[in-house]
Amino acid sequence: MFNFTPEERKVTLFLLGLALCGIVLSNLVKVNCRMAGVVYPQIQLARLNLNKVSLTELIKTKCVPVKLAERIIEYRNSHKEFGSLEELKEVKGIGDQRYEKLKELFFIE
Amino acid sequence: MKRPLVILTVFYCLGIILAGWIRINFWIITAMASAVFTAATLWGRKNGVFLALVLFLALLIGCLNLRNSWVLSKCHIRKFVAYQDNSLYWMDGFIASQPEFKNNHLWFILRARQIQAEKLRYKCCGEVLVKMDFEQELNYGDNLTLMGNLGRPPGFGPSQGYRDFLARQGIYLIMPIQDYRQIIRQDKFSGVGLIRGCLWLCSYLEQVISRYLPALPASILSAMVLGQKRGIPWLVNNSMVKSGTVHILVVSGFNVGIVAFMVNLLLKILRFPRKARIILIAICLLIYCAITGATNPVIRATVMGLVFLAAHLLKREPDIYNSLVSAALFILVPNPRQLFDIGFQLSFISVLAIVYFYPKLKALARLEACRIKILKFIIEGCLVSFSAWMGTLVIIALNFRIISLVTVLANILIVPLATLITLCGFTLVLSGLIYPGLANLFSFPTAALITLLLNINAVLIKLPLAYIYF
Repeated sequence: MFNFTPEERKVTLFLLGLALCGIVLSNLVKVNCRMAGVVYPQIQLARLNLNKVSLTELIKTKCVPVKLAERIIEYRNSHKEFGSLEELKEVKGIGDQRYEKLKELFFIE
Repeated sequence: MKRPLVILTVFYCLGIILAGWIRINFWIITAMASAVFTAATLWGRKNGVFLALVLFLALLIGCLNLRNSWVLSKCHIRKFVAYQDNSLYWMDGFIASQPEFKNNHLWFILRARQIQAEKLRYKCCGEVLVKMDFEQELNYGDNLTLMGNLGRPPGFGPSQGYRDFLARQGIYLIMPIQDYRQIIRQDKFSGVGLIRGCLWLCSYLEQVISRYLPALPASILSAMVLGQKRGIPWLVNNSMVKSGTVHILVVSGFNVGIVAFMVNLLLKILRFPRKARIILIAICLLIYCAITGATNPVIRATVMGLVFLAAHLLKREPDIYNSLVSAALFILVPNPRQLFDIGFQLSFISVLAIVYFYPKLKALARLEACRIKILKFIIEGCLVSFSAWMGTLVIIALNFRIISLVTVLANILIVPLATLITLCGFTLVLSGLIYPGLANLFSFPTAALITLLLNINAVLIKLPLAYIYF
C-alpha cells in the first residue's frame, strides 16, 4: 500500500515522534505545573540573580569591571538587598547607559 | 598536480597575508606581476618553471588585490569628511541593511548617494553606519535624508578591533542621530527587491518562532535556524563561548544541508525531474543564504552546496577541498580583507580541520572494526569535535584569550542536541506557516530540547578547569 523511500520513512518517523513528544509534554505541563520548569528554560540560565550572585561569580562572568562589581555587592550588603533593578542606578558608576545594559543581565526574585 | 585550484588559492591567500604584513608600493607589485606574467607566457612549455611562475603570480595577485581594496574611490564619502570634524552634514541615501535594535540604539548601514556640507553638494558613494537613539520603523531599501555629524567609529581597546571590523566591511564613518528632526524619510524605495523580500521573510519567520516559544528559546532557535543572534542574552552567549559550543548559534553547512534535503524531498514527492530538482534546490539555497544575512559561514556553506549540486548536475565526482576553496575565493576575490576576519578564519579552518584530521583519526582508532553502532556513533562524534577543536584552538586562544578544555566533551553532548533542535526548528517554522495547530504541538519538544541544551552547558562550564582565561 505504501511505497516509502528510506528518506521518506525517516521523515515520517521523525514527524510522528515529534508529535508524540509534543502531546506527552503538553499533557505533563497541563497536569503538573512544575513540568513547565523542565520544558521551558529557567531565567537563571540567561540572567544573574542580583540579590544572590556572589562577588566571585560576578567577576568570573566578566560582565562588569571588578571595581563596579565590588560596589554592587557593597551596596547590596549595606541595603540588605535590591528592591528593584532601578536601584542599580544608585550604585556609583552606573549611569543610564550602563543601566540599560545591566538590566538585561540581572533579575530580581 | 591533483588539486590545482587548492594550491592556487593557498598562494593567493599567502599573498594577501604578505601584503597585510609588508608595505610594498602597489606599482612595484604590479611591475613584478607583469614581469612574472610575461615570463610565464614565454617559458610556459617547461612544466616546473611554468608552475612556479603561476604560483608566484597568484601570490602577487593576492598582494595586489589587498592593496587595491585599501584604496577608496574618489567619490567615497570618507574623502569628503575630515576626522575630528564637528560640522553638520546632510546625507542622501538608502538603507542597505536590516535595521537592528541593539543596546537601546537602532543601527543600520546607509548607502550614501549625496553629501552636503556648507551649501556644497556632492555626489558620493560608500557606506555609513547610522546609530539612532530612538526607535523608528525603518526597513531595508528606504530612502532617507539624514543630518548630523560624521565621525570615526569607536575603536574599543588598544587593538582597535571594532574599527578594523567595520573597515573590513567597507565602513569608515558613523553618524549618530539623536532627534527625530535629523531624519527625513522619502516615499521612494531603493535597493534590490529580492533582498527586501528575503529580509521581510526572515522577520516574518522570526515572528512565527516567537509566536510558539517563550523569549529565551525563541532567541536561540532564531539564531540556529535563521542566523538572527540579536535576541540571545549576553550570559548565554558567554557561557557557550566558555564551553566552545558557540558555533551552534550560527547558521552553518548543516542548516544548508537540511534546506537542500527538505526541498529535494518535496520535489521528489511532486515527481520533478532530476535536473529541475537540482536547479530549484540551488535557487532555494541562494534564497536561504539571503534570508540568513549572507554571513561568511553561510556563504561558505552555500557555495560548497552549489559546487556539490553542480557536480551532480554534470555527473562528476564532487571534491570537498575544491568546493571549500571555491567558497573561499568567492568571498576573498571581491573582499580580500575578509581573510583577517575571525568568522571567516574559524568557519574555513574548522571545516578544513574536520576534512583533513577526521579520516586520519578514524583510521587510527580503527573504527571500521567496531560493531556496536551506538559506540561507533559516539566515537565518530568525538573525533569530529576533536578535529575541529585542534584546528581552531590557536585562533580562539589568540583572539578570545580563552582555552576551553571542556569543549570536546561539550560538543559530544551538545552537537547532537543542536542537530535535533535545528531539525525541530525547521519543522516548527514550516508547520507554523502551514498549520499553526501542529506547530503548537511541535513547540513543546523544541522548547524542552533547548532547555536541556542550556542546562547541560551550564553544568559543563561549572566543572573544574572547564575553561582557562589567560
